[in-house]
Amino acid sequence: MFAIEPRETDDLNLMEDEAFRAHVRQWIEANYPPELRNPPKRLHWEENKPWYFKLAEKGWLCPGWPRRFGGLGLSPAKQIIFTEEVERHGCARTNDHGIVMVGPLLINHGTEEQQQEFLPKILSGEHIWCQGYSEPNAGSDLAALRTEAVLDGDTYVVNGQKIWTTLAMDANWCFLLVRTDKAAKKQEGISFLLVDMTTPGITVKPIINLEYHDEFCEVFFDNVRVPAKNLVGTPNRGWDMAKALLSFERIYLGSPRLSAYAFTRLRQLAERMGVWEEAAFQETYARLRLDLEDLKSLYGAFVDKLRRGETLGPDVSMLKVFQTELFQRITDTMLEIAGENAGLLEPMEGNRNLNPTGLYIQARPATIYGGSNEIQRNILSKNVLGLPG
Amino acid sequence: MSAATDDRTESIRMIRDSAGAVAPRGGDTKRVRALRFASPGFDRGMLAQMGELGWIGLAVPEEAGGAGLGMSEAVALAEELGAGLVPEPLVPMMLSARLLAAVGHPALEGVLSGKRVVLTAWQERADTLAVPGTPDGARLFLPMAAGADAFLLPIHQGAGLGLHLQEAKGADLTLEKAMDGGNIGTLRPDLGRASLVAEDVGDMLAIALDEAALVTSGLMLGLMERAFAMTVDYLKTRQQFGRIIGTFQSLQHRAADLKIHIALTRAAVEAGAAALDDGATGAARHAAVSKAKHRAAESGMLVLRQCIQLHGGIGYTDEYDVGLFLRRGMVIMNQFGSAALHRRRFMALAPEDVE
Repeated sequence: MFAIEPRETDDLNLMEDEAFRAHVRQWIEANYPPELRNPPKRLHWEENKPWYFKLAEKGWLCPGWPRRFGGLGLSPAKQIIFTEEVERHGCARTNDHGIVMVGPLLINHGTEEQQQEFLPKILSGEHIWCQGYSEPNAGSDLAALRTEAVLDGDTYVVNGQKIWTTLAMDANWCFLLVRTDKAAKKQEGISFLLVDMTTPGITVKPIINLEYHDEFCEVFFDNVRVPAKNLVGTPNRGWDMAKALLSFERIYLGSPRLSAYAFTRLRQLAERMGVWEEAAFQETYARLRLDLEDLKSLYGAFVDKLRRGETLGPDVSMLKVFQTELFQRITDTMLEIAGENAGLLEPMEGNRNLNPTGLYIQARPATIYGGSNEIQRNILSKNVLGLPG
Repeated sequence: MSAATDDRTESIRMIRDSAGAVAPRGGDTKRVRALRFASPGFDRGMLAQMGELGWIGLAVPEEAGGAGLGMSEAVALAEELGAGLVPEPLVPMMLSARLLAAVGHPALEGVLSGKRVVLTAWQERADTLAVPGTPDGARLFLPMAAGADAFLLPIHQGAGLGLHLQEAKGADLTLEKAMDGGNIGTLRPDLGRASLVAEDVGDMLAIALDEAALVTSGLMLGLMERAFAMTVDYLKTRQQFGRIIGTFQSLQHRAADLKIHIALTRAAVEAGAAALDDGATGAARHAAVSKAKHRAAESGMLVLRQCIQLHGGIGYTDEYDVGLFLRRGMVIMNQFGSAALHRRRFMALAPEDVE
């Protein structure tokens, strides 16, 4: 059925956890490009595709997909180990929207035809996907989105604008939330469309962010014609699918990896700046350390739920809030001790490990993306604590 | 899930259920209030009931007459008792039971049954986990000492930390009132009136103090959970400016932050208990306990004082129950080590996984 057959044919789920961990670790260490460890910025496709293809060739690109779709079919517990090893080694995030979003979407809601058409091309790296969700006037209030798709025979005609579309310039396909019923309640008129980015009428404009990096884009749709067969699931029922896909993001954004990485660099910086031995610094450092350790315990408690096959509730928002704010507090401390180096654009002394300003800037959007921390606190107060209105 | 994990989940559930007998789930504080500032500050009959339920010997091995359970059960129990503001000195009794069980002394039976209140007088200065073991140094901060029948005195002799038993009758004991309506004793030991229990309890005392610090973290978690639940209920009913105050976003977000602190505390306490139950020893045990007690003291007091604030003026009255939780929190926050002490100990012990 598929162009690329996974090379790994043994059932990895049968391995003992620690043997599996060693197997994954060994392979990553032998195959991951050393110069791409812990990259300071999100990598473009041209930079990260060697790793994408290595994973694809090994059959490890999609650890969570069922085997019949070309995935590894790993159990939740094994997937967690896999992710831990990827994070431990500091592997760059690939252009992974096809892997983590489109794949699960089509496996759960796509037609057989859609599955056969799109899934193999994710596995082969032929299709690189981007996510068309946010709009200029639909950020935190995503359901207010206005990009519309009007049916014309067997084709949808799409008009509107998306923004904050991660790495859209690298993508040749987009999964797009569009309004297909303007009369309905705002959550009930939204549909999911799969759009070829080479279709006439699509314009991609990169946005330069505070990292001086073009990670995000604006994407404009001007009478873009999309075959109706590219609608996923039921028309006007896209919102629930979109929300379900975002639950992946909430645990991912709560992973301690960013804070843990920044914390190791904080110590190096403190030693370099000569403040390591100072009592005032040690006090701050100890508090951050214990916050990090307790974050790891809390993350572990959520991961244990996943391991047991339970689904996570809205309380997972706690992780996102605490992780991202800890990441910021660590990088705030970095600037505080960096002296005038706090104004440098590049890493200090050409040493990538002494990069306080890069990490500080990188920490800024963490409390904004994936549902701002204000939105996460709204979720906690309403859906977890049951506070009114 | 493994059968062992299933068993553990089940034993934790049972112990929580049994706690309902002593700490009413509904949050009735009538009993607790009646005992405040009345000597001895707790109910001896209730302590005996706790002994019968096997709680005092919860972590004592079965062959020594205990329940042979672990820290996961102990912190779950402590959480229920903290939530119920239970004043009986369970943690100090558990500590004494561990020492007496380790050396196989006949005084153990009275302690396990809860009928004889035996307090271990180990502390010679504020905010410490060190045991100087001097023969005549004053022993400080003995919780609920007004009800003590006897004291265990760790005293350095030769190479070991010996353990002596001194009856409370005739002892030089002074009492101070505690913020929560209990009492705190200072004992001037008199070795002439004491009998030797064991030659060396140094190792066991170190374990028992770690366990006591961890179980105290469980008590704090219970205080936080119950006081916060009261506060959320209050936010859902109190009206000002014609609106339920829980609809105000600034209060909603503060409540969300407190919820995060409670979740962190639970994660730290339960991870600490799991580490001890998995057999952590030495530095690993100290670090796991310090991590939990640090979080419980720090986040605990943050939550408790914010619960007063979110109640407004009513929270500042003695009549309203939320203040009872703050008062109890003040008494236990630094017992078996303050946040600062545990932060220092953690940093000195826990290896960093720096690349």
